[in-house]
Amino acid sequence: MRNTSLRNTWLVIKREYLERVRQRSFIVLTLLLPAIMIGAFAIPAKLSSMKNTKMQRLVVVTSTPQFGEIVRQQLVAGSKPDHESAAANKDKDKDAEDEDNPGRDYAIEVDSSATEAERTALRDRVNSGDIDGFLWLTDDAVAARKVTYYGRQSGGGGFMENSWLKDQLDRAILLQELAQRGVSRAQVEQLLKPVKLETMRLEGGRETKANDKGMFFAVFAMVMLLYTAVIFYGVSVMRAVLEEKNSRVMEVLLSSATSTELMAGKLIGVGAVGLTQIAIWIAMAATYALPALAASASTGEIHIAPLTLAAFALFFLLGYLLFSSIYAAIGAVITSEQEGQQMQFIIILPLIISVFMMGPVMHAPDSPVAVWTSMVPFFSPVLMYLRIAVQPPPVWQIALSLALLVGTIAGILVLCARIYRIGILMYGKRPTLPEILKWLKYA
Amino acid sequence: MNTVELNKIRKCYDEFVAVDDLSLVIRPGEVYGLLGPNGAGKTSTLRMMIGITMPDSGSVSMFGEPLRRAHTQRLGYLPEERGLYKKMKVLDQLVFLGELKGLSARDATERSQQWCERLGLKDWTGKKVEELSKGMQQKAQFIGAVVHDPQFVVMDEPFSGLDPSSALVLKDAFLELKNAGKTLLFSTHRMDTAERLCDSICLINHGRAVLEGDLGKIRAGYGKRNVQIKYEGDSQFLKDPKLVQSSNDYGNYVEVRLAAGADPQDLLQAAASHARVNKFELMEPSLEEIFIEAVGKANA
Repeated sequence: MRNTSLRNTWLVIKREYLERVRQRSFIVLTLLLPAIMIGAFAIPAKLSSMKNTKMQRLVVVTSTPQFGEIVRQQLVAGSKPDHESAAANKDKDKDAEDEDNPGRDYAIEVDSSATEAERTALRDRVNSGDIDGFLWLTDDAVAARKVTYYGRQSGGGGFMENSWLKDQLDRAILLQELAQRGVSRAQVEQLLKPVKLETMRLEGGRETKANDKGMFFAVFAMVMLLYTAVIFYGVSVMRAVLEEKNSRVMEVLLSSATSTELMAGKLIGVGAVGLTQIAIWIAMAATYALPALAASASTGEIHIAPLTLAAFALFFLLGYLLFSSIYAAIGAVITSEQEGQQMQFIIILPLIISVFMMGPVMHAPDSPVAVWTSMVPFFSPVLMYLRIAVQPPPVWQIALSLALLVGTIAGILVLCARIYRIGILMYGKRPTLPEILKWLKYA
Repeated sequence: MNTVELNKIRKCYDEFVAVDDLSLVIRPGEVYGLLGPNGAGKTSTLRMMIGITMPDSGSVSMFGEPLRRAHTQRLGYLPEERGLYKKMKVLDQLVFLGELKGLSARDATERSQQWCERLGLKDWTGKKVEELSKGMQQKAQFIGAVVHDPQFVVMDEPFSGLDPSSALVLKDAFLELKNAGKTLLFSTHRMDTAERLCDSICLINHGRAVLEGDLGKIRAGYGKRNVQIKYEGDSQFLKDPKLVQSSNDYGNYVEVRLAAGADPQDLLQAAASHARVNKFELMEPSLEEIFIEAVGKANA
C-alpha cells in the first residue's frame, strides 16, 4: 500500500520531469536566460570600463609652480588605485575613498601664467581636443575656495569623478596651506591618514570579514531568484494541472493513483525541473559569468556564509512548496489560464509585500516589525532568509518561523489536496468561493 | 465470488442526488451493461465503483473484498471523456499508464507494443498523441485501459463518438477480452448496443436502479406480450382495451402490446374476423420497451 503510493508518486515525478526537460522550450530558456543576464550586466560594465581606460589630459593653472606641482602629484597619485594602502599597509581591502577612484591615468601639465590671455588660449586647446580640460587654481581662487574646472565634459568623467576631483583638490590645498605654516609633508600625511572601518561578522562564535556591498548584492540576487522561481515554477504547476484537467487525462490517472499522489508528484517533479534549471545556471555562472561580474562590478569578494546558503536552500524549497501547492489548487479550480491570471494575486500579493518589506528589514533586522513579519508564513521565505543573511536572529526566532512555515505548508497541502481532488473532476463552470469552501467541508 | 457488488451506494452533489441507494452484482466473466439516459448517474456510479470518488453511504466490494487500492491494479478504466497527454509520445504514454498499474517498465513497453500492433497503431508509437487522428487516439486510449491485462475492464460509453470502422475494431477487441475470461462492464444510453452485447444489465434512472440482473431473465419476466401484426383491412380490433394495452403503427406493420391477462389467441381471432392477417408474431419485448415501462412504473 505504502509502496504503491511511493511508486506512483515516483512515476508521476519521473514523467513530469522527463517530459519537461525534454521540451524544446526548457532547453531554449535554460540557455537563453543566462545569455540575457550576461547581456544585461556584462555589456554595460564592459563599456564603462573601456571608457575609463582613456587617459585624461588636464592643465592645472596656478599662481606659483610649487602649488601646481603639489596638485599635479596629488592628482597623479590619487588616481592610482592603491596609493594609500601601498604606503600604509599591505591589506588589499579597499576603503570608501578608494571606490570613488576613477581608475584611469592622468597626464597633468602645470601652467603658472594665470592670465586672461592664457585662459582664452586654454579654452581653445580644450575645444580643439588637444587637452580634456583645465583647472583654474589661482591663489585668489584658492583663497575664496572657488575653483573652476573647464572641460568638454563637466568634471571630466561624471558625478563620481567630480567628487573624487574635489577630494583631491581639498587635499592639495590643505597640504599647501599646512606647508606654508611649517608642517612637514610627512606630518601632514600622518594627520590626514583616514580611518579604515572594518566590519567583522560574528556568526556562531566565528568571525568573518563582512563585505556589505557584496552581501547586499548576493542577498538581493537570491531573493529575486526565490521570488521569480516561485512564480515561474508555480505557474508551471498550475498549467500542468490545468492541462491534465482540460485534456481529461486526470480521470485515467485517478483510476490508478490517488489525487494526493498526483499532486505530490507534480509539485516535486516541477520543483526538480526548477532545481535542475537553477543548477545549470549556477554552473554556467560559476564557469563564466561570475568572474566577469565580480570583476566588472568591482564589489570585491562576494562572501556568502554557509549558513546563508543553507538558509537559502531551505527557504527556497519551503517557499516553493507553499506557493506551488496553492498554484496546484488554483489549477484544479480554474477552467482556463485567463481565470488563473485573475486568481494569482492570492500568491503574488504576499510575495510583493515581502519584497517591499526587504528595505526596512535589512535596515533594522532586529526591529519588532522585522521580527514579526519574518514569522508570518507567507512572508518568511523571503524575510526570514533575509534576516539570516544580514544578521542571524536568535535561534528561537528561526525555529518559530520555520515551525510556523512548515505547519502552514502541511495545512495548505491538505486543504489544496482536497480542493484538487474535487476540482480536477469538475468541468465547466468555475466554482465560486463559497462552493470551494463547501468542498473543503465535504472532502 | 462476484467481481463487483455495490450495496446501496449513494452520492449527492449539494442538493442533487446523483446516485440513490444503488445495488448491483457483477459476476466474473460476464458482460455487464449499465444503462440509462444521459444524466441518470452512470458515470457517478462507475467512479464510485472503481474508487475515484467515495460513496456518501453504502459499500463497494470488488473480487469479494471491500474495495481497496490494490484492486485498482486489476481493473482497467476507459473514461467517457477521453484524455491523453497531447504532447507525449504514444508509446511513452502507454508505458506510463501501464507502470502506474504496477507493470515493470519492460513489461509495459512490450505489451504496449503488442497492443499497438494488434490495433494498427504500430507505425504511430513514436508520434505525439496530438498528431493522431481521433479514431487512433481512441484506440490508444483503449490500450491504456487494458495494457496491464486487467481482470475487470470498466468502460464509460465506449462506443460514443466512434466512426463505424473504429467501433468495429473496438467491439472485436471487446469480445476478445470476453473470450479470454475477463469481466467487462460498460455504460451506454444506447439500448440496442446493450441488447447485442450484454449478459446482464442494470437500468438506472434518476440515480436509482430500475431493473437489475440477467438480461434473459428480465426479458422472460416481461413475457412474450408483444405482437407484430401485418394485416390488410379494418383496424377496429386494435381498439379493444380488453386485448390491447397500446399499439404502435410503423407503416409496414403494427406492434401491439397485449393488455394484462389477455390471450394472444383472442387477439388473433379478433384480427382475423376484421381483417386479412399476413403475419402474426409473438415477440420478446425490446430493452427499450422494458426500460420505458420500468421507468413508467417507478415514476408512477
